[in-house]
Formats: sequence, C-alpha cells, structure tokens
Amino acid sequence: MNMIQTIDLTKRFGDFTANDHISLAVKEQEIKCIVGENGAGKSTLMNMLYGLLEPTEGKILIREKEVNLKSPTDAIANGIGMVHQHFMLIPSLTVFENILLGAEVKKHKCLIDEKTEIAKIQELIEQYHFELNPMDKIEDISVGSRQRVEILKMLYRNVDILILDEPTAVLTPQEVDELMVSLKNLKKQGKTIVVITHKLREVMELSDSVTVIKHGKVIGNMETKDTNEQELAQMMVGRNVILTVSNNNMVDEQAEIIYKADNISTVNIFGKKVVDNMSFCVRKGEILGIAGVEGNGQSELVKIMSGLMETTEGTISFHGENITNIWPKEIRNKGIGIIPEDRYAQGLCKEMSLGDNIIAGYHSRKDVCKRGILQRKAINSKRDKGIKDFDIRVGDINGAVAALSGGNAQKIIVSRELTANPDMLIACQPTRGVDIGSIEAIHKHLLDYAKKGNAVVLISSELSEIMSLSDRVIVMCKGKITGEIEPRDTNMMKVGLLMAGIHEEERNE
Amino acid sequence: MNSTMSSKIIKIMNCILPVLMAFFVGGIVIAAIGENPFEVYWILISKALLSMTGFQNTLHYAGPMILTGLAIAITFKANIYNMGMEGSLLAGGFVAGILGAQLAGIPAIPLKFICLAAAAIFGMVYALISALLKVKFRANEMVITMMMNYALAKVLEYLATTVFRDAGNGYVCTPIVGDNAMFARIFSKSRLTLFFGIVILILVIMFVVMKKSRLGYEVTAMGKNFEFAEATGMHVGKTIIKIMLISGALAGIAGGGWMLEDQYRYTLTFSANPGLGWDGMLIALLGSHDPIGILIAAIFYAALKTGADSINMYANVPKEIISLIQALIVLFLAVKFIHEKFSFRRSAKKVKEA
Amino acid sequence: MLDSILYDCIYHSAPIILCVLGGCFAYKANVLNIALEGMMLNGAFVSVLTYFLTGNMLITVSLTLLSALIYGFVFSYFGITLKGNVIVIGLALNMVASAIAGFVLVLMNSANIIIPNFDLNALKIHIPLIENIPVIGHMISGHPIITYLSFAMILLMYILMYKTKFGVYVRVVGENEEAAKSIGIKTSFYKYAAVLIGAIGCALAGMNLSLERLGLFTNNMTASRGFIAIAAIYCGQGKPVQSAIYAILFGLARSLSVNLSIFAGNAAGLFDCIPYLVMMVVLSMASYIKHKPIKERGYKVNE
Repeated sequence: MNMIQTIDLTKRFGDFTANDHISLAVKEQEIKCIVGENGAGKSTLMNMLYGLLEPTEGKILIREKEVNLKSPTDAIANGIGMVHQHFMLIPSLTVFENILLGAEVKKHKCLIDEKTEIAKIQELIEQYHFELNPMDKIEDISVGSRQRVEILKMLYRNVDILILDEPTAVLTPQEVDELMVSLKNLKKQGKTIVVITHKLREVMELSDSVTVIKHGKVIGNMETKDTNEQELAQMMVGRNVILTVSNNNMVDEQAEIIYKADNISTVNIFGKKVVDNMSFCVRKGEILGIAGVEGNGQSELVKIMSGLMETTEGTISFHGENITNIWPKEIRNKGIGIIPEDRYAQGLCKEMSLGDNIIAGYHSRKDVCKRGILQRKAINSKRDKGIKDFDIRVGDINGAVAALSGGNAQKIIVSRELTANPDMLIACQPTRGVDIGSIEAIHKHLLDYAKKGNAVVLISSELSEIMSLSDRVIVMCKGKITGEIEPRDTNMMKVGLLMAGIHEEERNE
Repeated sequence: MNSTMSSKIIKIMNCILPVLMAFFVGGIVIAAIGENPFEVYWILISKALLSMTGFQNTLHYAGPMILTGLAIAITFKANIYNMGMEGSLLAGGFVAGILGAQLAGIPAIPLKFICLAAAAIFGMVYALISALLKVKFRANEMVITMMMNYALAKVLEYLATTVFRDAGNGYVCTPIVGDNAMFARIFSKSRLTLFFGIVILILVIMFVVMKKSRLGYEVTAMGKNFEFAEATGMHVGKTIIKIMLISGALAGIAGGGWMLEDQYRYTLTFSANPGLGWDGMLIALLGSHDPIGILIAAIFYAALKTGADSINMYANVPKEIISLIQALIVLFLAVKFIHEKFSFRRSAKKVKEA
Repeated sequence: MLDSILYDCIYHSAPIILCVLGGCFAYKANVLNIALEGMMLNGAFVSVLTYFLTGNMLITVSLTLLSALIYGFVFSYFGITLKGNVIVIGLALNMVASAIAGFVLVLMNSANIIIPNFDLNALKIHIPLIENIPVIGHMISGHPIITYLSFAMILLMYILMYKTKFGVYVRVVGENEEAAKSIGIKTSFYKYAAVLIGAIGCALAGMNLSLERLGLFTNNMTASRGFIAIAAIYCGQGKPVQSAIYAILFGLARSLSVNLSIFAGNAAGLFDCIPYLVMMVVLSMASYIKHKPIKERGYKVNE
C-alpha cells in the first residue's frame, strides 16, 4: 500500500515555481530518501505534506485517500509527523513538557498533572530504547538528544509516517550512525519514514528507495539497490560533480605568523563555556580550516574574531599587536576582512541598496566619505566595479539586495571584503545555501587571495569544503580544539572522531 | 524605475489613508455631538490654510513641531524609542525663559543666541542621562524617558512655584522674558517670527545629516537591521549616544524657540496637552522619518492646531477633538494598510528556500 | 507615622500590581504592551463617568471591563492581526485614552468628575480580628476590595502562568512561535488572550485608582504609572511574583515620599519625583545585572 502519494503537486510563490508537478509514492514500512541540491524544492514539498503550505495544484493521497491538509494538526491527525531541520523545541521547558506540548495531561479540569506526564514519557522513552531523561531542560541537552525529543514528540502522537528534514546536518558522524540505527528500528516497528537529505552516503546506507528532485521537478524515482552514489550525484546536479577547485598552493612552513589566538575563552548567555581555551595561529599565505559539527563553538569563535563578542580570558594578536576585544570597525581597519556566518543578519541589509551594502563596514574610509558626508559617485563606481570584477548578476542596479539570489548576495560580501585588500580574511560558511556555480567562484576567489600571500581562516560545517581548500585544519568540539590535521593525508574517519571529541590517543588506550 | 515609482506612491498612500480614516472617525464623533462634520472640517481648513494670516500662523505653530518631529525621527528611524523629547523641550524652554528674563540687559542678538544655546545644551544633558542609561546599563530607553519626563515636569513645577516664581502674578509662572529676548513678529497680523527661519536652517542641516552623511547612513542601517549595523562596525552604542544628543538638542531648541517667540514665560501648560513633543511623534511618523515629509506633516498638523482654535470659536465643537484625531492618526499610521511591492516578498521567500 | 507609611504602601502598590500582573502575560507572549498607561486611564475614566451617570456599581464594573476589552481588541487587532508596530500602537492608544477623557471633560465643562456624596468609607473593608492587631492590623485592614484582589491575584496569576495549559502555551508562543505553530497551537489566540488579560488588569487598576479610592477623575491622573508597571515587568522579567515585588517597591517609595514630604516644607513638590527616580535606578540596575554576564556585544532592539 502507498502510505503517501502525490500527484502533480505544484507550488508557486508569485511567478516562481518551487515545486513543479511532483509525483511520487512512499510505500508502507519503507525508508524513502528525497535528495536534491539546496534550493531544489525539497523543503517546500515536505511543508505541503505537513500542512504548513497549501499546494497551488495537485493532490496528496494518504493511505490512498485524498486529503486536504490545512495545518500541522491535520497532518498529525492523518498520522504524519515531521522532524524539522531547525528543532521546534522550547529551550526553557523540560523534555517531557516539550513532548507533551499540545497534548497535556490535566487534573482538576485545569491544572497540569506533571506526575502522570513524567511517568508516561518515561514509558515512551523505554518503549523506543532512547537515551533521555524526561526531567532535563532542552537547553541543557545535546543536539542529538534534542533530535530524539523531536522524534518522540511525533511518536507520542501515534504517527506512523515520519518525515525528517535534513536530520544529519547538525550531528557528528557517530551520532549519524546512532540515528540510522534508531530509524531502522522504527521501520521494524512498523513506521514509514521519509528522509530529506543531500548527503548521498546516508542515502545508500539507509534507504529502500530514492527520489531525486532538481529545480522543483522529479528527475528520478528508483530503488536504492539499483543505483549508486555517482549516478545520484549526477542526477542531482546535472553534470559530473567533483569539486573542481582544490588547494595546490604550497605554504612555506616558516612563513610569518600574522594572527595568533592565545588561550581564548568565552561564555554564552547561560554562563556555559562555549569557547574553551583555544589557541591557534595563522601564517601568511595559508588557509586555516576550522572544522566541527555545528553548534560546537564555531559561531562564538567567529564572533570573537570579528569583534561581536568579548572574551573572558586569553589574547588575540595580529601582526604582533594585541587586538583582543577591539570593535568590528577597528578590526577591519587593522586589515582583517570578515565574511560573517549569517548572510542576511550580519553581512547584508536586505532593504538597503547594493551601493549601501557594498560600502558597509568601510563607509568611513576616505574614498567614500569626506568630512562625514558620503560620496555617492564614488560609491556607485565602487559598486559597478564590484559587480563587474566578481560577476554579480543583478536585475536593478539601484535596487535592494533582497532581489538577489543567495549566491549573488554572497558575492556582494566577498567583493566588499576582498576589494578592501585586507591581510587576512575570516570566511565563515562562505558557501552556505549558494548554488554550485557561485560556490566554485567563491572558492576560486579564496584560493587566489591566499596565493597572493594573504591568510584565510575558513570556518565551515561542510567538511568537504574545509578538506579541499585548507592547508591545515583544526577540529573543534564543545568549544575545545580536539586536534589538528593535514587535510591532504587524513581520512574522513579520523576527522569524524575528532569532531566527536575523541582523540586518537584515547582510542588506543 | 517603474517599480520604485509605484512603491513611492504606495508609501504616500500609506500616509494619507490613516489621516483620512482618522478624520472619518473624528467626523463620526462630531456628528454624535450633533454638529456637522463637513462644516467643522471646512472651517478648520479655510481658517488655517486659505487665509494669509491663518497660513502664517500655521507656519508659526509648525516651527517647534518641525524640530520635535526631527528629534523623534532621528531616533525612531534607528529603532531607538526616545520619548524624552518632551522633557528636553520643557528643560530647554524653561532655561531659555529664565535666562531671557535674568539677562534682559544684553543686546538682542547675543541674548537670543545665549538663550537658544542654553536650551540646546539643557536638552542635550537631559537626553544624555537616558542615553547613558541605555548604552551603559542597557535600560529600556522608552520606559526610562517616560519616567524621567514625569519627574522633570515635577521638578520644573517646583522651581516655577518657588525659586523662579513671578510673585506679581496670580497663577504659577516664571517672570516674563526681556524684550531683547523676544523674537519679533514679521508681519503685524500674524504670529510668525524669524525663529521660523532658524527652524528652516536646522531642517536643511538635518536633511544633509539624515540623507547624505555617514551618521544618516548608520542610522538607516540600524533601523533596518541592528545586527548588520553592529557586525559591519558601526559602533552602535556610540551612535545611540550621538543621535540621542542630537534629538535632545533639537527638542531643546524647539522649547527655547517656543519660549522666545510665543510663550515668553514658563507656565504649567507651557507645552500644552498633548505636548509639542508628542506632536513631534505624530509628525515624524506621518512624514515617515524623512525631513521633507516632516516639513509637510508639521505644516499639516500645525494647520489642525490653528484651525482648532477657529472651530472652538465658529463651531460648537471643543478643540480637544483635534487631540483625538491626532491620536487616531498615530494609531492608524502604525499599520501598513497597503503592502509594498509584492515581488519584494516573493524574492524574500525565494532566498529562504535556497 | 509608621502606620500610615505601611498602609499607604499597600494603597499605592495595588494599582501597579494589577497593571504588572496583566502586563506580564503580554510580555511573556512577546507582545510589548506599552498601552498599559492608556488602558489604566481608560479604566479610571469610564468607571467614574459611569458611576457619575448611573450610580449603579454593577453597570459601572461591567462597562469598565467592556471598555477595557475594546482597547485590548483594538491593540491586538492592529498589532497582531494587522502586524503593525506595537510600540507605536501602544503610544497611540495612550493618546487616545487621554484624548477621549479630555474631550468628554470639556463637553461636561469641567476639569474633573467628582461623584457627589460618594461614601468612600463604605467601600473600605475592615477585617475583624486582624483589624485589632497593632501595626499590621492597620496596614492590612481598611482597604477597598480591589486592593485585596490585587494581592490575591499575584498567586492566581502565578498559578495561571506556570501550572495551567494556558500559561504554558502563552510562554511557548512568546519563546518560539514557529514551534508553537508546528504543533497546531493557535498563536494569535494566545497573544490576543495575553493582551486582553492585561487590559482587564489595567481596568481594575484604573477603577481602584479613581473610583474606589477617591471617587473622582482628573485627566492624566495615572501619572505614568503604566510605565512604572512596564519598568517593574522588565525588572521581574515577566515573572508575576518577582514583578509584583517591584511594583510593591514603587508603592513603598511613593508612600515614603508622600508621608515624608510633610517635613519638607517648600520642597514637598520635589518628593513627587522620588518614586520615579527610584524606579529608574532599579530598572537600570536590574538591566545592568541581567546584561553584565553576556559576552555578546550589541543592542538587540527593545531588549
């Protein structure tokens, strides 16, 4: 029996078609993977199945009956549960409160019966062999545990179809393995599972069948056993994918150290140490990669490096000068460029024009600002030069940044930071959510820049990006450096262990 | 180009529509007390805008409002809700009044300069307190300034009733300012004075500051995206202090000017109800924080105020109806009834998908 | 002296407590309700006006609550449904309340509304036995009913916020709206409800302030108490008990300034600002302590 079937499902936003006549079927008790590049329309499809978006055209059939899903409540009533990529949990509430949110057990008609609730959840946890304590607060538990809470939240609601959106994006390789075991167990217990991903290794290991989506269309439906990683990758991207750029620069090991962080630490809002005694240095002409599972202190490290967060201890020096805790403006004036983590929050202002964005951070420089007055003409010529040199595709040259695609918006930042000609560049997630063409271009810019004798600190959660671009990689886990590796002669297995915080020495013992 | 044109029209419509809606509700109220709203509104417009004297009076009232409007705009635009301009205005007015009376012997031009400069400084000092509490202590600026306004009004009331009281008068007030301190009227019939020229000069300066300067750029960036402003190195704390100081100075000058061109002495109803500072809020919102918009909005609103005196005289409607209409305009201005460019939202959606 | 300081402390705390308790829910639901001031003024105005016109307490209470709900609905509709700027809406509603009161006062040709032959003492409840305990008896006994209600509400609101489904949902909506939506919580409903609770609290506060205590209304008699309440909510981070304690602190400061000002002679007028300055200092200190351990730089809007 087909648990889920879609027939010509279409979703349009204005004149942009996110999903174009998608037809697929998920059989009972199978694990189905839906793969595609970022922006291919996977999330839109899932949001329609979960009632968060209404289809423009087409039908959704659940257990071979047509349904009209108006809200997540409808979806749950039809036995569909979803685990979102960004967890839908309330950090200040406990595990059991989160699981029972919307399905509270009451006593005396209006008060919440906490005792019964805890007992119920304990039972549920044991039933599925999950490792969790119902009394823990969400803000205190690991990302992997949070994901288990999300899954339990759905299981408690008696769903028999589970949709997981990019479930492995935030997990260590070891946690990924645990998740796979859990999912296979759930399948044995009779659940049907749909996983959205773009990681092909997981598809091959986990799924029974695969659907490939590209540009909002279904490119292929097949049994996993009839295909392989290369074929899937080709279908996803539409051509051979080998990362075409890789780092061939040879760094002089005696080159001058220009940036040095010495025992730096900081704490988050809850007073927890999120960057813990980190020390590293960057040499001229070198690309230093910082790898790690998301949420292990990389964001905070970048914030410290770019002046958005203060350290509790430790010092940072640049060209031998102490620059600890100076402000972002001064950091740029010292000659450090920054590509921030969150493009639209920190890097660009969507509602402002291209020109205004291309001078941001450098708007006090003499070439664009004289006696406190901005020089429009100089700004416009700077903008035009950036657009030309970095091949940025814009519709309306006077328009706002909001009209640009992710890749072109990111190129605005890259152009801004590189034309200021800094000695060092901090690049944080430089290619997140960017199309393949732009990824290539940005990678090339970074390599060329380093080749000229400048330094780059590259922070990325895409391990392949780090491994192919960096000269040297340090791995972070829980705010600590767990190891340093040479990307050219290290295998992924070792990196995975470091990312999970397991040192080689420990393992040998 | 076409799309920016249409978005401008939508912007203007979003300012005009709330005004019409407020007048509509106001009209219902007028009708409810048994008067003809059309007649009342006609008196209002004809007396305030269509007669030369009326129009000059309108400009006269618009002067301080342009300044308080600018004072609000520069902070609101940066998403800093400084409500302290009412206090700055009172402080500025009070000090200008006292100096104008005490130093009456000084020649006209230096005396006016001293009074206005002192007004600006007092306005700035008053604003600086809340700015520092905001920046150094992270206290919510709106709550702080509202409480400070109340405390300041009490302090000034105390000063006006004790130390600086004009004993010769039956009601609580400070001594009248010297002739040298008063701005003379330009025309014999209307109340318009040269202070309006100063206002226009300040407006031009503020136009450059808000539209062309680095500070204006930073204020815009802060208003649109605080995190972006911080991450790209605009020292937000310092900028907050700067704009609060500018805001305080503008409101202080507004108070000083209002003292020297209209009131001549500090009374307990110096800034009327709901206060010139509050008028500034309406004007800033109505003019969408844009200097030109503020000029137009201030003239429009001053016309309401001048007209209000006339409806009190010629129609049987209390002029307090204007306060109600004012409040309703602010309320309706808080909502964008027509959404800007549909394509704008779609492209934002596309980005999310990516 | 001590007797009257303690009595006045309760007396001046009550309206702020009511405002604070109402405002806490909106705060927790992530809707900043600046209109507390206007809603309180409206409560004061409508209650005195209705009683002045009808002389019937039942009609007075129901009309006052009804008008508060209208304010709450207008605020919610503009701010939540139409997604307007809630700060501007709040400030506008404060102006609306004051403008309506001013307009009606002019129509009535009077600077204030005084209810003739209003027996304030009849509204005071003297608690037997407790009344006779020295010091405490005088402090606790002899207040009007809403004053007692305000203190009882602290506990009730605590239970409502932390022990019921409603309270959990309000907090969930405020903390992570997306998550609330994903499990089918109607977020707008809880935001509306949170604002309406605030409106009712403010209406009671206004009634207490004008009708019950003084039997008269003058415009702007709320004297920025709504903003004091907001300061207390900020200090207590929206937790009902903690925020109420800050409200009582204001009551104490106010009571001290009133009682001590008789020694001040000419400067008595200055004592009026003391409670406001106290709240400013307290708010600044509370904000400072809250932000000191945060290492992340920057000023998030309206923190």
